[in-house]
Amino acid sequence: MHNGSGADALLIQDLHVRVEGMPILKGIDLHVPKGEVHALMGPNGSGKSTLANTLMGHPAFEVTGGSVTFKGQDVLELATDERARLGMFMAFQYPSEITGVRVSNFLRMALNAQREDEISAMEFRRLMMEKMRLLRMDLKFASRYLNEGFSGGEKKRNEILQMAVLQPELAILDETDSGLDIDALRIVADGVNTLRGAEMATLVITHYQRLLNYIVPDVVHVLIDGRIARTGGKQLALELDEMGYEAITAAQEA
Amino acid sequence: MAIDARAPGLTRRTVDEVADSRQEPDWLRARRQAAWDVYDATPNPGRTDEEWRRTNLRWLQWESLAPAPARDGVGRVPSTVPAAALSPSVTLLVSAAGARVIDISPEARDAGVVTLDLAEAARTQPELVRERLSTTAIPPEQGKFQALNAALWQGGALVHVPRGAALAQPILVVVCGDAGLEQPHLLASLGEGAQASIVEWWADAEHDSPALVNGATELFVDSGAQLTYSHVQALATDARSILSQRAIVGRDATFTSTNVTVGGRFHKARVEAGLIEPGASVVMNGAFRLGRRQFVDHHTTQGHLAPDGTSDLLFAGVLDGRARSVYAGTIIVEPKAQRTNAYQNNRNLLLNSGTRADSIPRLEIMADDVRCTHGATTSTLEPSHLYYLCSRGLPESQARELIVEGYFEAVLDRVPHEGVRDVLRGVLTAPAPTSDGATGI
Repeated sequence: MHNGSGADALLIQDLHVRVEGMPILKGIDLHVPKGEVHALMGPNGSGKSTLANTLMGHPAFEVTGGSVTFKGQDVLELATDERARLGMFMAFQYPSEITGVRVSNFLRMALNAQREDEISAMEFRRLMMEKMRLLRMDLKFASRYLNEGFSGGEKKRNEILQMAVLQPELAILDETDSGLDIDALRIVADGVNTLRGAEMATLVITHYQRLLNYIVPDVVHVLIDGRIARTGGKQLALELDEMGYEAITAAQEA
Repeated sequence: MAIDARAPGLTRRTVDEVADSRQEPDWLRARRQAAWDVYDATPNPGRTDEEWRRTNLRWLQWESLAPAPARDGVGRVPSTVPAAALSPSVTLLVSAAGARVIDISPEARDAGVVTLDLAEAARTQPELVRERLSTTAIPPEQGKFQALNAALWQGGALVHVPRGAALAQPILVVVCGDAGLEQPHLLASLGEGAQASIVEWWADAEHDSPALVNGATELFVDSGAQLTYSHVQALATDARSILSQRAIVGRDATFTSTNVTVGGRFHKARVEAGLIEPGASVVMNGAFRLGRRQFVDHHTTQGHLAPDGTSDLLFAGVLDGRARSVYAGTIIVEPKAQRTNAYQNNRNLLLNSGTRADSIPRLEIMADDVRCTHGATTSTLEPSHLYYLCSRGLPESQARELIVEGYFEAVLDRVPHEGVRDVLRGVLTAPAPTSDGATGI
C-alpha cells in the first residue's frame, strides 16, 4: 500500500476507461490522501479530463476495469449526485451555461442537498458573501444566471466559488487555469490555497506548469497515453516545463 | 366524455333563452342573433383550413353542444386559484350564472373601477358595452368559435378602469368551468392614461369540470393607458378549451400580455394584438408546460395598423410525456404602419422523444420602412447540463426541474408586475400532471 493511506483517501486502482469504444485510460493507479495536493499533468489527449469526468460519473465514459474508492466507498457504484454528496467536487473545464437559474439559488439548493437541515436564508447569504469576497467577486454575481454570458475567467471563478461554498473533501480541478490571465489565475489559486487543508484531498489537472507556481503540489503525476508515466515531487513539474513531455515519452519508449 | 347530451343541441332558440334569462336589452339580443346567423352560416373548421391544419377537431360533436347549466352554486373562488398571493384589488367570479364581485378594495372603488356582470352592464351601463362588445376586437365573422361565443356567451364580465385611474394591485377575474359548454366573455377597457393589471384565471369549479370552454377576451387599451394582462389556463386534466383574445391598443398605449397554459388536454388559443394608432407598444408573452398527451395550439397575431408601433413576442414551451404543441405566429404590417419594429420568438424544450413542437412563423409586411424579425428554436434537454447540476449534488429529477423552471425565466422576466410574476412562476413550477389518467384520447 501507499504511504499515509487512510480509509478517507481517494484510491484508484488499475482503472480502465473507454470513450465511444476507444480505450483512453489503460490502467491508472493513483492515491490522493486528505491534506495533500496532487498535480496530474500530461499532453493533450493523454486522458486527463477523461479521468476527472470518470471520477465524477460522466455518463459517456465507460469503465471497463479497475476500481475507485473514496472514504472507503465504491465510487463507481454511485450516481453523479451521490458522489457529490459523498464530498467529491469537480471544477469543470467548460462549465455549462444554464439559463434562468441564478447562481445563489442554485448554490443554496446544492448546499441543502448535502445537508441534513436546510440552511437559513440569512446564514446562506452570509456564507455567500464571505466566499465571494475571498474570490474578489462582485456581489451582483450571485443573482446572475449560472454561467450565462460569463467571461472565461468569471466561469472559473464561479467554479471555485461553488467549491468554497460546498467545501468538498475531494476537489478535482480540471484545467482550471485554461483561459485565465495571470491576475485571474492568482485569485483562483489564492482561493484554492485558502481552502486546502487537512480535510481536503486535491487533484489539480493541468497541461501547463504555470498554475503549479501558485498552487504548489505535494506530488506530481505525469499521464501519458492513458497511463501514469512518472510520479515525483513538485520539481517534476519544473523539469517537464523545461524538457517537455516528449522527453518522458522517449524515456518510456527507450 | 360528457358534453351534455340531454339537450338537443344549440339552436336559434337557445339564443333567445339565454337573452331572456338575463333580461337583456334588445340591441344585445339582436347582436346575439346576428352572431348566431354567422355561426350557422360558417362551415365547421377542419383540416383544410390553414388555422386548423395541425389541430384535430374530430372530437367535437357540434350537434350535441349544450350550454352549461346556470347554477347558483358557484359561490367561491376555487382553492386552486392562489387569490391571496395576488392580493387583488378586485376579485370577480365568473360562471355560467354570470359574474359576481367577491371583493373590491377601497382603492379600486375610489378610483371608479367598474366591475360588473356583462349582461347587467349591457342594461345599466350600455355606453361601456355596446360599442365594444363583439364589434371591433372579436367580431363574429372571425370564425366559427368566435361567432358561437358572441351568440351564446353566458359568463360575461365587464371590467372598466376609467380615464387616468391607476391601480397598483391586479384585478382578478376567475372563470369557473362547470359541466358542459362554458362560454365566458371578458370585456375589459382602460380609459385614457389609466394603468392596471388584469389576471384572468380559468379553473374548474369545485363541484365539476367543464367539457369544453370556448372563451373570448376583448381588451381595449386607450391612448396612453398601460395594461398588464395575464391569462392562466389551469383547467382539469380532461377539459378542452378554446380561447380568442384580442387587444386593441391605442395611441402611445402600452399593452403586455402573458398567456400561461398548463391544464386541460386540448387548448387552442388565438392571441392577438392590434396596434391601431401611432406609437403603441406591445409585449406578448407565452409560457406553456405540457405533459401526458396534452395538446396546445397558439396562433398569435401582432397586427400593426398604424405607424411607430413596437411589438415584441416571446412564447416558450416545455413538453414532456407525449405532449404536442403548435405555434403559428404572424406579424402583419399594414401599408401605413411605417417605422414599425416587431419581433417574434418561439422556443420549445422537448424533454423526451415522444413530444413534438411545430413552429410556424409568418411575416406579412406591406410597409417599406420597418424592422421585423423572427426566430424559432426547438431544443432537447442537454445531458451535459444535467451532469453539471448533478455534479453539485442535485438528484437528477431536481436538476431537470431546475432547468425547466429556468427555461421560463426569460418569459417571466418580461412580466412587469412582480406579484403577478411570482404567481405565474408558481403555476409553471407545479409539476405537470404525469398520470396518463382515463382521458381516453
